[in-house]
Amino acid sequence: MSGATSAIGNILIGGIFHAAVLFLVAAGLQLVFGVQKIVNLACGSFYALGAYFAITFVNLALNAGLPGWALLPLLLIAGLLMAAVGPPIERLLRAVYDRDESFQLLLTFALVLMFQDVFRFVWGANPRSLDNVHLIYGKWAVGDFSVPFYNLMVIGAALIAACLIGLFLKRTNFGRLLRATAENRAMAEALGVNVRAVYAAVFTLGTLLGTIGGALVVPTAAASLDMAVEFVIEAFAVVVIGGLGSMPGALAGALLVGLIRAGSLVVYPEFEILAIYLIVIGVLLLKPTGLFGKTAA
Amino acid sequence: MQVSRRVLLTSIAATGAAATAPGVFAPAVSQAKPCRIGILAPRSGIAASAGESGLRGTQWAVEKFNAGGGIAGRKIELVIEEETNPKDTIERFQKLVQQETVDCVQGIVSTGVGLALGPVVEEARALTIYWDGTTQDGVDEKLPNPKYLFRSTDNECEAVMSSLLAIKYWNGQFKTIAGINPDYSYGRNNMAAFVALLKRFNIEHEVITEQWPKVGTMELTSHVAALKAAKPDLIFSSLLFADLPVFMKQAHAAELTKGTKLVFPAAGWQHTLMKKDFTPEGMIFGHNTLYFDNPKATAMQREFVAWYADKFKDYPNWEADRAYFAIASYKEAVEKAANARGGAWPAIDDVIGALAGSSVESLGGKGSWRRDHIADQTFVQGFSTHANKYDFVTLDPARIETMYSTELQKPAGANFWDWLKAAKFQI
Repeated sequence: MSGATSAIGNILIGGIFHAAVLFLVAAGLQLVFGVQKIVNLACGSFYALGAYFAITFVNLALNAGLPGWALLPLLLIAGLLMAAVGPPIERLLRAVYDRDESFQLLLTFALVLMFQDVFRFVWGANPRSLDNVHLIYGKWAVGDFSVPFYNLMVIGAALIAACLIGLFLKRTNFGRLLRATAENRAMAEALGVNVRAVYAAVFTLGTLLGTIGGALVVPTAAASLDMAVEFVIEAFAVVVIGGLGSMPGALAGALLVGLIRAGSLVVYPEFEILAIYLIVIGVLLLKPTGLFGKTAA
Repeated sequence: MQVSRRVLLTSIAATGAAATAPGVFAPAVSQAKPCRIGILAPRSGIAASAGESGLRGTQWAVEKFNAGGGIAGRKIELVIEEETNPKDTIERFQKLVQQETVDCVQGIVSTGVGLALGPVVEEARALTIYWDGTTQDGVDEKLPNPKYLFRSTDNECEAVMSSLLAIKYWNGQFKTIAGINPDYSYGRNNMAAFVALLKRFNIEHEVITEQWPKVGTMELTSHVAALKAAKPDLIFSSLLFADLPVFMKQAHAAELTKGTKLVFPAAGWQHTLMKKDFTPEGMIFGHNTLYFDNPKATAMQREFVAWYADKFKDYPNWEADRAYFAIASYKEAVEKAANARGGAWPAIDDVIGALAGSSVESLGGKGSWRRDHIADQTFVQGFSTHANKYDFVTLDPARIETMYSTELQKPAGANFWDWLKAAKFQI
């Protein structure tokens, strides 16, 4: 592989990896808004919770003698376990379902702050990490091109998550109920759909996407008190570009943001943030519903 | 330190020993009210770990001083408040001064907060000693001659030292340089200082890319890819928050660190997270004013590090030293001023007079206060090594460099960039 090809390969993979991380955070935000019409700022906290717990869980498991290659299943289990916080929080959010959006934002922001204190209490103020355990899966290196296989697994996991959510929503009865509830809650309720159960399931699924996202990403990064808000801001850019409530939109938005960011870092690093928000402004001006969003009837 | 948001740390232990110890000031003020010190330290956000280390340094000092009779015979009592954004921190400062009526306020890690708080301190006429904050807008001093405020060394000291080490040891071994620095004045000024010093010493160089991730960015693979595409001989980085070990991990995974010279002036803020698995040997690694494993450490530093490791299963970074320096120099000044008054508790002007120009032995080495109320302290940097008992890198004992900040920061009233061009550096 020539030097230029290697460099382009590294940049593309870097951008796609960032997109995968963004998608995992944005997907939960999209799903919850799409069905429940709640802008859940705490989706970043679920991401952080998955990351913090995964570190503890993986360390315990590896210290207990589990082999390093078990990292990926351990991370998935950690994310799955932490999704258990979804139902009680959804129960709390019921108080603001029919209230002004500002109440929803305030309550979910309060959750962000409360989670941050919980993280500090349980894991301390210092960032936590998993060292280099993810390199157990090796690297794909050709010439100057080099990417850990684990990063490719995270990209794969994001794609699989996108496909599974798509299949779930379109090919299962429960998925149809979700979409019906998202389209018209009152009508769905009148037709006998248990909307409370639907909401609880959707919120838990959204939580699961966040916790699994955090768990999968933390081996390449670190868990810190600020991580809950780090990706939420970019995730909002993703959902604005893709269209609020649209899962294909989240995927396209994440890919666009990831690649634009990676490209601008090479061409003109000062434009890293500007480039993303120019796209956001462009979408808001030209197609306010986002690339895949539906126009309100 | 396990403290709630507002905590009084009263007479920590050793009260029995202190009661029987014949302190110098015991006859005059042994029954006096406690000496109340207000602390403003970050306990959440990106600087939380620094705040924690600083609070622990203060805790150790208070235990030690109280065991010896306190400050001029008064036991120390801490009132701890959180440093957050400038507005809220100013409100908490005013509460410490007006409601809690503390004798002295210490803390402040962020220069952004320190800059905003400076005029408030002067207005309140409350003796205040910053740990790590300055009153500089970038490199320009905005409060040249405060009366009540004492400030940290310039933020650029560590970058100047690392730059000098890179020039001293690697001159001729690099030409293309890249930077990845936090996107605020600290990161930008550090990178600019490095380049300015290369020019000053006529080092042939070419800056091929400069990356400016926003503070606390935890996903840096695209930055790493951009750096790798540029193929620099040397990378200069003053990353210092949780993003630093993440960058190093991702750079290692992408094989960016292989064969590239690395200059990291502020890496010591995250030193225990700089694991051997992904942090290479031979990089220039700054520990600022406290290197916990310094083979030339004083008995006091060794005692502190042992206490810290035993109590918290961790090793301190430089914020502990900044905090210790603040409280130790305050103690020294109060006692000097009290001595001059025959043992009576001194007035604030007397303490200020005693503090300016004073020197104490801090945890990481000598520290002193200039007449313009800016600190001078001992800086330690060196080359990373894996040859140690820890799982993170330390400094190669044979290649540790120590410099006093009189060699690293501009003198009172000077312009930083002009000073860089004209200063006599010891290389």
